[in-house]
Amino acid sequence: MATVTTSQTPDLASSPSPVEVAESIRAAYDASRAVYPVGGGTALNYGNSPTQPGEQLDLTGLNRIVDYTPRDMTILVEAGVRMTDLAAALAAEGQHLPIDVPRASEATLGGVVATNWSGPRRYGHGTIRDYVIGIHAVDGRGVAFKGGGRVVKNVAGYDFCKLLTGSLGTLGVITQLALKVKPLPESTGTVVAACADVATAGILLDRLATLPVPPVAIDYLLGPNWQVPTTTRSRQAEIGPQTPHLVIRFEGTETETAWLADQIQTELQQAGGMSVALLAPIDAAALWKRQIEFADRGAGDAPENSPMVIKVAVPPSAVTKLVAQLVAFDPDCSIQAHAASGIVIARFAKFGHSDITPVLVGKLRPAAAKLGGSLVVISGTLDGLTPHLIWGGRTDAIVLMENIKRKFDPRNILNPGRFVY
Amino acid sequence: MTEPIANTTSPANPGAALDYELLLDCVHCGLCTAACPTYVETGNENESPRGRIYLMRGVADGKLELNERVRGHLELCLDCRACETACPSGVQYGKLIEPFRVAMESLDGPSRRDDWFHRHILFGLFPYSAKLRRALIPARIAQRTGVLKLLQATRLTRLLPAQLRRMVDMLPPPRRNEGPLPEFLPAIGRRRATVALFSGCIGDAMFRHVNWATARVLQQNGCDVHVPRAQACCGAIHFHAGSSDPAQVFADQNLAAFPVERFDAIINNIAGCGSMLKDYGHHWQDARQNERAAWSAKVRDVNEFLDQLGPVRPEGEIRAVATYHDACHLLHAQKIHDAPRRLLAQIPGLELHDLPESELCCGAAGTYNLTQPEMSARLSRRKLDNIRKTAARVAITSNAGCALQIAREARDQNMQLAVVHPMEMLDWSYRGVKPKW
Amino acid sequence: MIAEPAVNLSAELRRLLGPDRVLDAHSDLAVFECDAFVIEKHCPSVAVFPQTANEVAAIVKLCNERGVPFVPRGAGTSLAGGGLPVGGGVMIVLTRMREILEVNLRDRYAIVEPGVVNAWLNKRLAGTGFHYAPDPSSQGACTIGGNCATNAGGPHTLKYGVTVNHVLGVEIVTAEGEIVQVGGPVEDSPGPDLVGTIVGGEGTLGIVTKIWVRLTPNPQGVRTMLGIFESVDDATQAISGIIGAGIIPAALEMMDQGILVAVEEAFHFGFPLDAEAILLIEVDGIEVGLDAQRDRVAEICRQNNAREVRFAADAKERLQLWKCRKQAFGAIGRLSPSYCTQDGVVPRTKLPHILQRIRAIGAKYDLRIVNVFHAGDGNLHPILLFDERNAGEIERVLAASGEILNECLECGGSVTGEHGIGLEKLNFMNRMFTDDDLDVMTRLRDALNPGGLLSPGKLLPTAGACGMEQIHPGRRAAL
Repeated sequence: MATVTTSQTPDLASSPSPVEVAESIRAAYDASRAVYPVGGGTALNYGNSPTQPGEQLDLTGLNRIVDYTPRDMTILVEAGVRMTDLAAALAAEGQHLPIDVPRASEATLGGVVATNWSGPRRYGHGTIRDYVIGIHAVDGRGVAFKGGGRVVKNVAGYDFCKLLTGSLGTLGVITQLALKVKPLPESTGTVVAACADVATAGILLDRLATLPVPPVAIDYLLGPNWQVPTTTRSRQAEIGPQTPHLVIRFEGTETETAWLADQIQTELQQAGGMSVALLAPIDAAALWKRQIEFADRGAGDAPENSPMVIKVAVPPSAVTKLVAQLVAFDPDCSIQAHAASGIVIARFAKFGHSDITPVLVGKLRPAAAKLGGSLVVISGTLDGLTPHLIWGGRTDAIVLMENIKRKFDPRNILNPGRFVY
Repeated sequence: MTEPIANTTSPANPGAALDYELLLDCVHCGLCTAACPTYVETGNENESPRGRIYLMRGVADGKLELNERVRGHLELCLDCRACETACPSGVQYGKLIEPFRVAMESLDGPSRRDDWFHRHILFGLFPYSAKLRRALIPARIAQRTGVLKLLQATRLTRLLPAQLRRMVDMLPPPRRNEGPLPEFLPAIGRRRATVALFSGCIGDAMFRHVNWATARVLQQNGCDVHVPRAQACCGAIHFHAGSSDPAQVFADQNLAAFPVERFDAIINNIAGCGSMLKDYGHHWQDARQNERAAWSAKVRDVNEFLDQLGPVRPEGEIRAVATYHDACHLLHAQKIHDAPRRLLAQIPGLELHDLPESELCCGAAGTYNLTQPEMSARLSRRKLDNIRKTAARVAITSNAGCALQIAREARDQNMQLAVVHPMEMLDWSYRGVKPKW
Repeated sequence: MIAEPAVNLSAELRRLLGPDRVLDAHSDLAVFECDAFVIEKHCPSVAVFPQTANEVAAIVKLCNERGVPFVPRGAGTSLAGGGLPVGGGVMIVLTRMREILEVNLRDRYAIVEPGVVNAWLNKRLAGTGFHYAPDPSSQGACTIGGNCATNAGGPHTLKYGVTVNHVLGVEIVTAEGEIVQVGGPVEDSPGPDLVGTIVGGEGTLGIVTKIWVRLTPNPQGVRTMLGIFESVDDATQAISGIIGAGIIPAALEMMDQGILVAVEEAFHFGFPLDAEAILLIEVDGIEVGLDAQRDRVAEICRQNNAREVRFAADAKERLQLWKCRKQAFGAIGRLSPSYCTQDGVVPRTKLPHILQRIRAIGAKYDLRIVNVFHAGDGNLHPILLFDERNAGEIERVLAASGEILNECLECGGSVTGEHGIGLEKLNFMNRMFTDDDLDVMTRLRDALNPGGLLSPGKLLPTAGACGMEQIHPGRRAAL
C-alpha cells in the first residue's frame, strides 16, 4: 500500500512517504509501466480514461499536516490530505482555503491542484493557483523536485506551483503543498433574485459586474436541477422552472455584510430583478451546498446522471448569450454559471452520440473559441470520446505543453491519455 | 565603462566642465526614463536621461568618444527637466547637460554656431525685442494682407530656408497693436506689494498683450508694477545653445536694471525666462555669484506670486472648456504645478479638464523647435492629440514657446483652439470682458 | 564567438527593420550594457527595436539561424541584471511596443503591449473605477512586459497579489520564433498553467509580446495610518499581531530609523526622528467597515507598545506618505554615496528574528544597514550603505549580504521576493534548490528554450548557449 496500490482505505501506519512515491515511479519508469495517481478519486471522470495498462498510485496516505503556523497564514501539508480535513485544521485557527470543491470529504488537495478545480467563489477569491506557494512532486523519471517555498512572496526559480496546477498528474505526481490561506470571514450573506428572462438576467449581470464593491460569488442558475428558495411568496406564480436566478454571495464583517445585503438588493431591484431576497442562513447553506456539488456527477440531482456535463469558459459579458444557446439545444438542461468569471457549467438532460458532432464540435465549441474561450467535457456517460472531443483541438499552446511533457515524463507513464497528450 | 575612475579628463573633454560628484548622484535606477519626452517617443535608452548621463560619464571617463552619434543623443535633449521631477535621488540633470553642452559647443570653436541662423536670428535678433518686432514687420504685413496664408497655401514658403520657414509658421495670428508698457502702473485698491515686471525679449515682441494682461492683473491685486526700461533678455537662448558668456552679460545687465532691494518680487510670466532668472545664482562661479543669488531669490513666476499673495477673486464669467498644459520650465524647472490651476479654478464658468500627459514637453523647448524640427514636430503632434482628448477649446499655458508651438500645431491640423496665458484669462475675468478666441 | 557574424547580422536586421531601428555602433550600445544592476556589465552586439510580434519573431528566427543569443529588454529597471545580454548577441528592446490595445471594463481586462509602462495603464484607467493592481515602486518607469518577466510585486500585493495573479494571458514569441498565445481574455484554459509558468520566467521561456491583464475595481474607501514604535521588535510584533488577527491590510510597510532620517530630510513629512521604526499601514474596502478596521489595527499597534498612531488626514497626506515610502530608496543618497539592497523573504513570524540578525550582521561587518520593506509579506529590503572609495568596504558589503540571505534561507524563506534571480543571485540557486530541483528546472527551460539562445545565463546556474559554466564562480554574494 505504500507504493503501487488500488486500495481506497489507506492505513496511516503505512502512509507512503514522498520518497516511496518517488521510488515507485522510478520503478515504473524503469519498466515503462503507466502510473495513475489517485487522490480522493472524485474527479476520475474528468478527462479521458486510461489508455495504457498500469497501476493506480494511491496518494491518500500522504495526508499529514506537516507544519501550520497560523500567524504566518501559511500551511504545509501532504498532497493526499482531504479537503474537509484541511478545512477543519484551518477553521480551528479561524482561517480557510476559499476553494469550493464537490465531495470535499473525499477530494484531496493534490487532486484539486492537479485538476485546477474551482467553484462559485473564484470571483472573489481566485483559484487554487493563487494559493499554492510551494510544491513538491515527482516527475516521470522518479525524480523528486520542488518549486516555490514557504513564503507568500517568492520569485526564485521557475514556478512549478503554477506549472503543475491543472496538469492532471501528467507532468508530476504532487506529494506536498505549501499554501497561503485567508482569515475566515466574520459573516456571509446570500441574496437571490429571479429574472423574467435571460435578457433581464443579462442586464442584472452587467450591473453586478461593475459594482465598486464586488461580492465573492455571482452564480447564475437555470433549469430543473435548481429549486431556489425565496422568502417572499408574492410573485411565486411568475417564477417557473425555466426562470433564471441569480445568487449573490458576499463576505465580510457583520457591518459590511449588512451594508452589502442592502446594496445588492437595491441594485437588483432597480435593474428589474424579481423576488429579490436575502436568504435565511439555513436556506443559504442548503443552496450553497448544491452550488458547490452541481458540477459533480454524483450530486444527487435529478436526473441523477447527466449524459453530458460540460464547462464552457467565455468572457463574462457573453454568459447570457451562451446560456441561451445551451437552452435552445436542450430546454431541460440545468445550468450553473459563475457569471462574473465567465464559467458556465451545463448538465444536459439529453445528449446522445449523434449530438457530438453537430452540437459540441459544430456549434458550442466554435462559439466559445470565437470569444477566446474554451469548452471541456467534465463528465459524461458517452463512451469513446477522443481527447480532442473532450479538451478541444491542438492549439499552439498545447504544442508547448507537449514539449514540456516530453521533458518531464519522457516515457509517457504519468496518467497517459488523461489529457490531450 | 565598468569602473568609476577618477576625473582624468583633459580640458578638451567636455566632461571636465562637469562637477563629477553630480554624475555620481545617478544610481542608474531608470525611474527617470518614462518622464523623458524623447525617450517616450523613441524608446531608445540613449535618448533618455539615464542614458545621457551614462554617455556623459562615459565621455568624462574617457571611455566613450564624443562622436557625432553621442553628440546627437545629447543635442536631442529638450532640457525640459522632467527627469528631475521623476528622479528620487535628486540628480540635478540640468547642471549636467547644460555645462556639458556648453563645453561641447566651445570644443568646436565658433564655427558650429557661426551659421546664418545662429548668428543673425538666434543670437542676433531674438534677444532684442525691438529689433525682433521690427524684423517681424514684413511677415506681419504678409499676415495681415493674407499674403502669408497664400504663400503657405501655395507652399511658396518652402523657398525659405527650413529654419526660417518654421519660424514663419510659428508666427501667431496678428493681434491689435498694443503700445509698450509704461514704466510704472499703480496698484488698484489697497497696496499689497511693489513688484517689478520682467517683460522679456520674445515676450515683448510677440506677447506684449500677455505683458499687459499680467500688469493689469497685478494692479488688480494691489501691486505697484514697475517695468524697468534697461532690462535685457534673460540670456536663456544663448545659455541653452551653449553660449555662456553673452548670457552672463545679459544677467548682469538685468541685475543693474532691477535694483532688487526696491521690490518685493521680480515677476515674470514666461516660464523659460523665469527658470533662467532663478538660475542666475549658480550658472557662473565668480565674484558676483552671491549678488546674483540674492537677486534670483526675489524672482517669482506670476502664477506662483499671485497664488502666494492670495488673489483677489475674479468675478467675470468665462464660459469655456479649457485645459492647462504644464510648461516644462514651470513644472519641472520651477516645480510650480498647483498655483496656475488654483488661480484658474477661481474664474466663474471656466471648466478645466485635466490634460493627459500634461507634464510631457510639447516640443517647443526654447528654440528646440527650430534646431530639432523632427522630434519637435512629433512631440507637438502628441500634445495636440492629448488636448483633443480633453475636448477643450482653450489651451492655457504659461510659456511663450509652448503657446507658439501648440497654436502652430493646431493651425496645421485645422483645429479650433485658442491658446492663452493664465494671466489673459484672469485679466478678462477681472475686467468682465468676453474673450474673442 | 559572435563578433564576426554580427556584422552580417546587423545588415540583415536592417533589412528587416529599416536603418533606424537597429543600433550597432559601440557608442550607441554602451547604455545597454547594464540595467539598474550596475555591478556587472555585458554589452550587446546589436540592439533592435521591433514594433510588432512578427518583427520579434523574424529577429528571433534570424538569431536562431545564426546561432546568436538574444535577450529581451524593457525599461531596464531590473535590480538583478535581468536585462543583461550575457554572452553578447542581440538585445531585443521592446520599448517601441507600447500600445494599450484594449480596455474592457465589463470583462475586467486590458490588453497591453510589453513596452507599456505600468503607470501608463493606470493613468489610462483613471476615472473608470478600475486599476491594474501590481504596483512596483518603479511603476513610473518599468514596463508591464518586464513586470511579467520578474513577476513583479509592490506594496499593495499583500492584499491584491503579485503580477502573476493579474495576468490572464500572454502572447509570446518562442525561443524558436513562433508566435503563440497562451491564455487570453477568458479564464480557465485547459491544461497546465502555462501563463503562470511564463510569468516569472525572467524572459528565458519566451518573449512576451502581448499581455492580457486583469483589472481590479478601486476600493470604495481607504484608510492610511502610521504606527510609531520605540523599538523594531515592537513594530514587528505588531505586524504579526495584525496578520494574526485575521486582518489583511492593503499594504503594510516598515521603515526603520535610519531610513526615516533620510526620508525626512528629503520630503519633510514630519516623521519623528527618535522612533526606532514606523509602520505604514493601509486598509481598504467597504467604506462602512473601514473606520472599525482602522481602529482595530491602531489598537493592535498600541497593544504592541506603539508610541503613537497617526491617521492620514486626507488624500493628499496619503499620497505624500506613499511618496515618502516609494521614493525612500532614492533618498538614501542623502545618507551615503552608494548602497546595495537585498530582496530576501522570511515567514512573517520570523521578522523580529531576522531584523535582529541583520542588526548583528551589520555590527559584525561594521556596516550601516537601514530597512524599508514590505513587512506584511515578510519581504525584506535591507539596504547596506557604503562608499566604494573606501578600500575593502565592497567586500564587507558582499559578505554581509550573503550572510543576510543565508539567514533568510535558514528561516525558511527565499533570497528574492520580487526582484528575481537574474544574474545577481545565481549563486544562491543551489542553496535554495537541490540538484534534482535544478535539473527539472533545466528541463523546463530546455522544453521551451531548446537551443538556450534566449536569455542565456539567467535564473539557472547552469551552462547557457555558449557553453558557459557557472558564470561568476568567484562571486559570493550580490548587490
